[in-house]
Amino acid sequence: MLSRIALRSASARQTASTALVARGSATDAVGVRDEKNFPRPVRGEPGKVRLGFVPEEWFQFFHSKTGVTGPYAFGVGLTTYLCSKEIYVMEHEYYTGLSIFLMVYYATTRFGPKIAAWLDKEIDAVETNWNEGRVQSIKTLEESIEDEKTAQWRAEGQEILVQAKKENVLLQLEAAYRERLMTAYTEVKRRLDYQLEKSNVERRLAQRHMVDWIVTNVTKAITPDQEKQTLDRCIADLSALAAKQ
Amino acid sequence: MGFGDYPKEYNPAVHGPYDPARYYGKPDTPFGQLKLNEIGAWFGRRNKTPSALMGACSRAWWRWQHKYVQPKRCGMAPFFQLLVGSMTFFYVINYGKIKHHRNYKYH
Repeated sequence: MLSRIALRSASARQTASTALVARGSATDAVGVRDEKNFPRPVRGEPGKVRLGFVPEEWFQFFHSKTGVTGPYAFGVGLTTYLCSKEIYVMEHEYYTGLSIFLMVYYATTRFGPKIAAWLDKEIDAVETNWNEGRVQSIKTLEESIEDEKTAQWRAEGQEILVQAKKENVLLQLEAAYRERLMTAYTEVKRRLDYQLEKSNVERRLAQRHMVDWIVTNVTKAITPDQEKQTLDRCIADLSALAAKQ
Repeated sequence: MGFGDYPKEYNPAVHGPYDPARYYGKPDTPFGQLKLNEIGAWFGRRNKTPSALMGACSRAWWRWQHKYVQPKRCGMAPFFQLLVGSMTFFYVINYGKIKHHRNYKYH
């Protein structure tokens, strides 16, 4: 019975592969949309910075000619030049700026990671909120697809059940046929046995009767002459035998 | 003609959604890949109207934004960059006044 299921699943797998081929050959929408030069914009990763604000590309720009310390050396040299020539004047506002810079540096190093983690959580919450409806409907649809597949499997099961029931009925018919065949055979054999016994009995009776009849007739037919002659002959034979021994 | 219109060369059917950081005109060699003797010709080809200049500034601003502000998990970098940028800009503007607050006479 389980071989029936195996045969069905083999044929179903072949039809699924042909459906995939048909879907894959469908082409994109018509036209003039220049996907190669103007791809759809995607939200990218944030640009890398060093020291909090200097873009990484400036460091890469220096790297091939001056190696790793190049940009830092350039920065130190530039600031030294600006300060020594007093192009950058360290007037009273400078000390205000320096104090504020120290406070900002302390705040970012102490509280930065914690605030960043909390903000990341908030961002993720907002994003999941926006995607909620779409994701939910996709999940519901997929669940309904699964339910549909289960219902199809159940229907197949029903078909197999009906076939099994049909086979059952056929088996029962076969059993009844064989039973009747056996009955017919035994009946015929009984009748034939009876005939055989009857003929046996008749033959036996006839034989016994015939023997009795022959014996009585022969006994009746033996006359006293014949009896005397037979006796004499027997005595002569006996004496001959005795003489031989 | 009005402010805030799409550039003339932008065509939604060809270019898809509008990206304010992209130049939709005729493609030309990027400035970083020019040879020194081509610079004059390159400048000659540029469109030097005020609206083109504003467009260039807008595209630069949007390009910076796409890189540092718009990503999902940008850090403090854009704030610091704006801070330092505005500090230098205002220092340069006020340099004439600050020059007189020098501490030393001879450098």
